[in-house]
Amino acid sequence: MLKGLIILMLYQGAGEIVARALSSPVPGPVIGLILLLVSLLWRQKTDPDLQVVASSLTAHLGLLFVPAAVGVVSFLPLLKGHMLSIGIVLLVSVLLAMATTALVLKRRSVTKPAE
Amino acid sequence: MDLREIWVYLSGSPLFSLILTLVAYQVGVFAHQSMGRSPLVNPVAIAVLLTAGVLLAIDMPYAQYFEGAQFIHFLLGTATVALAVPIAQGWHLLKGRFAELGLALIMGGVVSVVSSVGLASLFGLPLELVTPMLAKSVTAPIAMGISESMGISPTLTAVYAVSTGVIGAITATHLLNALGMKDWTARGFAVGVAAHGIGTSRAFAVHPDAGAFSSVGMGLHGVLGALLLPLVGPWVVKFLAT
Repeated sequence: MLKGLIILMLYQGAGEIVARALSSPVPGPVIGLILLLVSLLWRQKTDPDLQVVASSLTAHLGLLFVPAAVGVVSFLPLLKGHMLSIGIVLLVSVLLAMATTALVLKRRSVTKPAE
Repeated sequence: MDLREIWVYLSGSPLFSLILTLVAYQVGVFAHQSMGRSPLVNPVAIAVLLTAGVLLAIDMPYAQYFEGAQFIHFLLGTATVALAVPIAQGWHLLKGRFAELGLALIMGGVVSVVSSVGLASLFGLPLELVTPMLAKSVTAPIAMGISESMGISPTLTAVYAVSTGVIGAITATHLLNALGMKDWTARGFAVGVAAHGIGTSRAFAVHPDAGAFSSVGMGLHGVLGALLLPLVGPWVVKFLAT
């Protein structure tokens, strides 16, 4: 448990250092993600302890953005009267994005000869 | 014993915000499970509404709440790094399919940005409500980082991202059936690209292959978004502002 957390935080720290050193617009944790991914693919196996911590963090990913999303209370005056439009935009956009991704894959698998 | 004094102490301590957030989320998870994991009952949406409701009811300023809740918030960065693990594990599924999945990801990402920003400006939404749309199909922890780096509200980005995930999880099965998609891997990937984490947990509930591809789609969209949006985003914002 502890070892997994240390690995993740070290990569997070490394990502932050790289992000700052290059004054990169890509967030530090994403650079940490890429660095960890490269090392996992390189070594071809995942430390079981890291595995445990990573799956519990990703299983409760939703909890982690509650504090930020609750900040919506300070935007209520601004959001008032726009809720319906925002809802429609999000609905249409997610349907279009999902349909596009799915249809590209469908088309490719149709044109590709059966294996 | 003065109850008021105890309350003043408690509400000033991080403990109150932490308990409130964790309990609200637990209530959400419980409701989700007892409703047969229906996508209509989303634990994150319930947790946000409950917590926000309590803050409004007891008249606690958001800044004071966040002082305590920041300890949960901090773990977002760590959880972002942890996304490398499911991507690495799904990597063998991608072999030989990089070209088609990459193309599908880019097309899906572009459609997501163009349709949301375009429609939002068409509806005449104020600029500060349009710009958080840019990253809304990217998984929330990464999306917030991207927005923050561009000077866009991370809060609204998180709210849009959560709503997008919830809407995607509710509609995915109907939409993909209507499109005649039979391949679980393609279905999962599309859900992960469009509706990130919340879509992914829905995909796992439907089929393990769909879940695996969904987490890979979400992870790759997160990385691609973090690499490209900071380049394209400011240009879009400038264009909208004129």
